[in-house]
Amino acid sequence: MSAAVQLSRRDRMMLHCVPLREEHVDDRALRTAIHHARKTEVLAIQQNFDKAAAGLVQAIPIPKEIVEWVPTETFIAPARRPWKRYAQNPALLATGIAVLVIAIVGVIQLVDRLNRFPGEATARRLLTTASSNKSMMLDPVKTEAGALGDFLFMKHRLVHYDVPAEFADLKTLGCRVFDDEEGQRVAQVWLVEKKMQLFMFPAERDVKTGAVKHFEGWRYLDQDRWTGVVKEESGVCFMAAVRGSEKDLAPYISKKKE
Amino acid sequence: MAEEQKQDLLQLYRFCFLMLADAAKAQEIFHATLREAAQLAADGEAPRDRLWFFRNARWRCLEVSEQGLQPEDVDLEQDELAEWAPSQIEKLEPQQLAVWISGAPEPQRTALALFYLNEFSHRDLLSVTELKPNELSKLLCNGRREFQAWLDAAVPAEQP
Repeated sequence: MSAAVQLSRRDRMMLHCVPLREEHVDDRALRTAIHHARKTEVLAIQQNFDKAAAGLVQAIPIPKEIVEWVPTETFIAPARRPWKRYAQNPALLATGIAVLVIAIVGVIQLVDRLNRFPGEATARRLLTTASSNKSMMLDPVKTEAGALGDFLFMKHRLVHYDVPAEFADLKTLGCRVFDDEEGQRVAQVWLVEKKMQLFMFPAERDVKTGAVKHFEGWRYLDQDRWTGVVKEESGVCFMAAVRGSEKDLAPYISKKKE
Repeated sequence: MAEEQKQDLLQLYRFCFLMLADAAKAQEIFHATLREAAQLAADGEAPRDRLWFFRNARWRCLEVSEQGLQPEDVDLEQDELAEWAPSQIEKLEPQQLAVWISGAPEPQRTALALFYLNEFSHRDLLSVTELKPNELSKLLCNGRREFQAWLDAAVPAEQP
């Protein structure tokens, strides 16, 4: 009994639960307690007591009706394989990785497709133009960008070439109208703020019907460190382009103006 | 059916017997439990493990025992486990042990019945009894000491 005094409180607590069969010890704390108390008299007495009681339980006679009634089929559902075992299977692991890669590529393509919009090809070409132009190539026009709609209509007969309200208050440095490589009339405006450039060009049309391909809201695109944000209205696309990223343009289009 | 599973079902009857100390009632609950398992299996919802049988039988036993006479809620005497306890236990009939266990209050009754079936791991015991380790420990400790005190009174042994 003296050895028991050295046992911790937790060990003493766990020792009361020590099963008779070693394979039933499935708890770390219990295993530790048994290890600490393996040579103590108190554990030996308890185990002898339990063996005798368990032996008496096994002596409970089983009625004939029970033995005969025990069914021949099992009612227990087959054990499910834990997911860890599946994960360790090389074939399943390889398949899982392949599926994951395909899924990632699919998601990237889907996102890319969702970001596409009619007139994107023209917008990209104009981003290249923006990155290679200097302000001195444009005719000097110092006014508010919003006032250029009338100027473009009056001087160049360009209908609906209007600057959206989000950019209408910005001061301009210059402006020009030119034909791009597809013969479309493009208006280009240079702004004071952030050396931003605005482009207005005809929206893409259906080849067969000639109908304008509309799209809703603002669409971003970027190319060679230049970022543009495009919107279509009344058959004309407007693009604001700046050297930088989306976050340089986001503040302008996030403020809703009448 | 595997021999192991057949053995489990025989132990299920012994469990019912320890809980009730009544062979007829134990048999009735054994059959009811198996019928429910068969019904579930037929519906494609077979029990997931053998513990289901003991949990199910336990609640049936508790339900049945609530209908009969209830043991008085008294603090039983306790004695230290004696070295000669095995020789005292050997003199008992299984029915006497079942009567003693079935008279214990819940959840001590279930804990003792399952523990002395010698079929379950520590975690299984905690799972079926729905007890915490310290609770199970206390119930088993007190159960042994109370049983020792009863043994000393009912089967006095000649001390070496």
